[in-house]
Amino acid sequence: MAPTVIRDLSDSSGYWAAIWTMCPMQDVHVICDAPVGCFNLVGTAVPDYTDAIPHIENLTPATMTEQEVGGKGTADKVKWTYDNLSLTGVLDNKHVIVVSTAESEMIGSDHSSLVKQLGVGTKFYYSNSLAEDEWAGRDRVLIWLWDEYGAQQRASVARNPLSVNIIGPTYGCFNAPSELEEMKRMIEGAGGTVNIIFPYATTLADMHQLAAADVTVVLYKEFGMGLAEQLGKPILTTPYGMKDSNAFVRALGALLGTSVQAEAFIAHEKKTTLQAVWDLWRGPQGDWFSTLDVGIVAGLGLAEGLERFLGEELGMKIVFSTARPRRPGDYDNEATRQHIHKKAPSFLFGSMNERIYLREAGSRFSNFIPASFPGPAVRRAVGTPYIGYRGCVILMQEIVNRLYDGLLNFLPVDSAYAAARSNAGAGGQPAAAPSGQAGNLRWSNEAREMLDTELQKLPYLPRISASRQLQMAIEEISRQRGATEVTAELVTAGLAANRG
Amino acid sequence: MAEIIELNQAGKNTSPCKLHPQSMCPAFGSLRILTRLEGSHPVMATDTGCLYGLTFVTHFYGASKSILAPQLGTAELMSGQVVEGTRAAIEVAGREPGVKLIPVVSLCVAETAGMPEELLPKKSGDADVVLVRVPAYAIHSHPEAKDIAVAALLNRLAEREGPVQEKSVVLLGEVFPADPLLIDGLLRRMGVTETIFLPGRSIEDFRRSGRMSAMAPLHPFYKESMNVARSIGMSIAGGAPVGISGTYAWIKSIGSILGLDEALVQQVADEERAKATAIVAARPLNGTVLVTGYEGTELAYARMLVEAGAHVPYVSTSIGQDPLVLPDELWLKSHGTKEVIYRKALEEDVAAIDRYSPDLVFGTTPLASVAKERGIPAMYFTNQLASRPFFLSSGMAATIEFVAEVLTKGDRYRFMQEFFAD
Repeated sequence: MAPTVIRDLSDSSGYWAAIWTMCPMQDVHVICDAPVGCFNLVGTAVPDYTDAIPHIENLTPATMTEQEVGGKGTADKVKWTYDNLSLTGVLDNKHVIVVSTAESEMIGSDHSSLVKQLGVGTKFYYSNSLAEDEWAGRDRVLIWLWDEYGAQQRASVARNPLSVNIIGPTYGCFNAPSELEEMKRMIEGAGGTVNIIFPYATTLADMHQLAAADVTVVLYKEFGMGLAEQLGKPILTTPYGMKDSNAFVRALGALLGTSVQAEAFIAHEKKTTLQAVWDLWRGPQGDWFSTLDVGIVAGLGLAEGLERFLGEELGMKIVFSTARPRRPGDYDNEATRQHIHKKAPSFLFGSMNERIYLREAGSRFSNFIPASFPGPAVRRAVGTPYIGYRGCVILMQEIVNRLYDGLLNFLPVDSAYAAARSNAGAGGQPAAAPSGQAGNLRWSNEAREMLDTELQKLPYLPRISASRQLQMAIEEISRQRGATEVTAELVTAGLAANRG
Repeated sequence: MAEIIELNQAGKNTSPCKLHPQSMCPAFGSLRILTRLEGSHPVMATDTGCLYGLTFVTHFYGASKSILAPQLGTAELMSGQVVEGTRAAIEVAGREPGVKLIPVVSLCVAETAGMPEELLPKKSGDADVVLVRVPAYAIHSHPEAKDIAVAALLNRLAEREGPVQEKSVVLLGEVFPADPLLIDGLLRRMGVTETIFLPGRSIEDFRRSGRMSAMAPLHPFYKESMNVARSIGMSIAGGAPVGISGTYAWIKSIGSILGLDEALVQQVADEERAKATAIVAARPLNGTVLVTGYEGTELAYARMLVEAGAHVPYVSTSIGQDPLVLPDELWLKSHGTKEVIYRKALEEDVAAIDRYSPDLVFGTTPLASVAKERGIPAMYFTNQLASRPFFLSSGMAATIEFVAEVLTKGDRYRFMQEFFAD
């Protein structure tokens, strides 16, 4: 079979899934069987920028060096790490889990026996990092945690009436604090209460209480369904857009027997939260939506949600949408990159990778909106969900404000200011003043077509202003070169100068 | 009289156990350098977890550059397809516009599985393919991985034929963009004909470096690169133009290695010393500062701060002990520094905060957060110190002005600490 080449990997591995799923619970301490890099990246360097935390404190490496890789194995190092951590007291009242990494799996380290010689209750989790991606990994580790720390106590758990579990998020889930906040609001709006938020806001000690709820909500469609099925409660997934949100609230109301509250909440949301959508739709802003083309790269739930809300409900043109994990037929990064290089959409929801492709394409007219990892993004303000009712408003507001920005950036400004700036910068040398010459130069057909083609690449809204600006830039260069007609060559030069 | 042996060691000042090593993933150092080169399109041979993390930090701290990799999962690693996959990725990289260099960055799992260099192509089209081996388990710190990358490029690209440019020097180390201009200006005044700063944006600079007469590593972890330079016949100037005494000594050393006009060199050295002395006299630092980054340059920063008047009792770094760092270590220890720690761990740095009650801490992000939790002014060394002018008297002015500013901010750090205390 021909080898697969990855461009700008979007999905992390089973090891990352394990650390990011286990460590939000404060009564866990993880020892990772890892070289220094696997510890630093997952524990500090990346969560600094995905989760806006200084570092993950309940993670310690059994730092692997040449010796361990070269035949000694990692068991002694894991034991040494455990013993010395114990002496510091940080393992008191903690459940210790030893987690494998790609490199420890590579050298065949299996500590399922070793952990029995460590403190009581210490367990080994094989992260299967050479085979599993972060989505399959999170799904599996959630089930493993339930099996190891929750399921046995299931029978003794009393029902918590009208309560709802939320499964997901973990560290490294885009926009988690906001999505969670909106989900809580919707559950309560529909007449329920929140039971356990697993793993983000619970402890291993409390997780058996998952059995107490009436309903389970899977917050991210990408993972968590495995555990939700094991819990054996009715399952709902996160809604995006207006229709889905109504359907979600109705379904939850029906499951909990709180349909009256649910209907009242829907009616209230329409008059309050969603009023902004109705107002923007009726106002001049709404007219723009159908002129916009949108590219989407996001987690499965969000990708499908954006397709429905932006595409079906607001009427934007979805030019591509690729999910994480990818669905059959979704672009890989190579195809996404080529699409963006060829024609960047006016709005691009994505990760750092797509942002780089936009820069490579020199696309200054596209609006990038962060929607997935990898990439640095602070999403800790709980008021910016993409899910539910508030998500509709945030998305619409974000898009309209970007349109305003685009518009304002292309309204004409007197070019004398730029000349004055370069004047000052050049130590008082007089800069070439704009000719300000009246009248248009003659354009060859070829030149006119080239400009048209260039303009077709631009999003609709800034096109009018950009068109005038580009035309002036090209004519300016043509005049400087003493041309009486704008040729294809001069268009090329003008466009290049304008890209600057 | 017989010595009394304490039976109970508890409460004694024993050095803490190194549980949490402080380094970026070592390989990041090489990726940062390799992605910033114009025309360089790296291929990373590694597992997906590693690839995700390293791509993430490279896209944040290195360059906006697409990164290719062979898929190396259980199937590929176990069936010996590491080289085959890497070759396929090299082929894709070879189609990038303007490609001149394809560094193959070989990481933990690929190194463990085996990456025989002879099975990789030397070229893809016109682009040079250069293998850079940086498994984290063997390199230990990201500054040292920078050295591995630079050495690999020099080894492969530096021209070994043709006349040597007289009185020219390669300056080695990632520095703030204003620093090269100032150093170049100063060296030309002394009669240097040309300078090249490595590593920068230009691959051509690596080629031309081979025909320069000397190399001056500005950071103390470029030992492999120095070995390559020596093998080409270049002389090496030690030290760095940092602080008052360091700059003075460095200027004299460059002058003597390149055979520059002695009177002129002396004049420039005296001028720089006078300027630096005046800068310190105008605004001396006052306070206890811990310098505990992981960039490998911490000792030089500490030395400058001490010369500027600060008390720096504790310095730690991610790199290993080495003859190249020794002069700075000896200098610091004879100027009041009590501890210099190599390959440090978080525990040692935290213990130093307890021990020395600093007024200011420059550290890794975990350490800076510990200091802030105690209301002590603290910053991430990498983002705040290592990203400012540093060399010569003007660099010293910029750096100590910044440090002096931060030293006045104690109230704000205490306010935040108190605000979140309950």
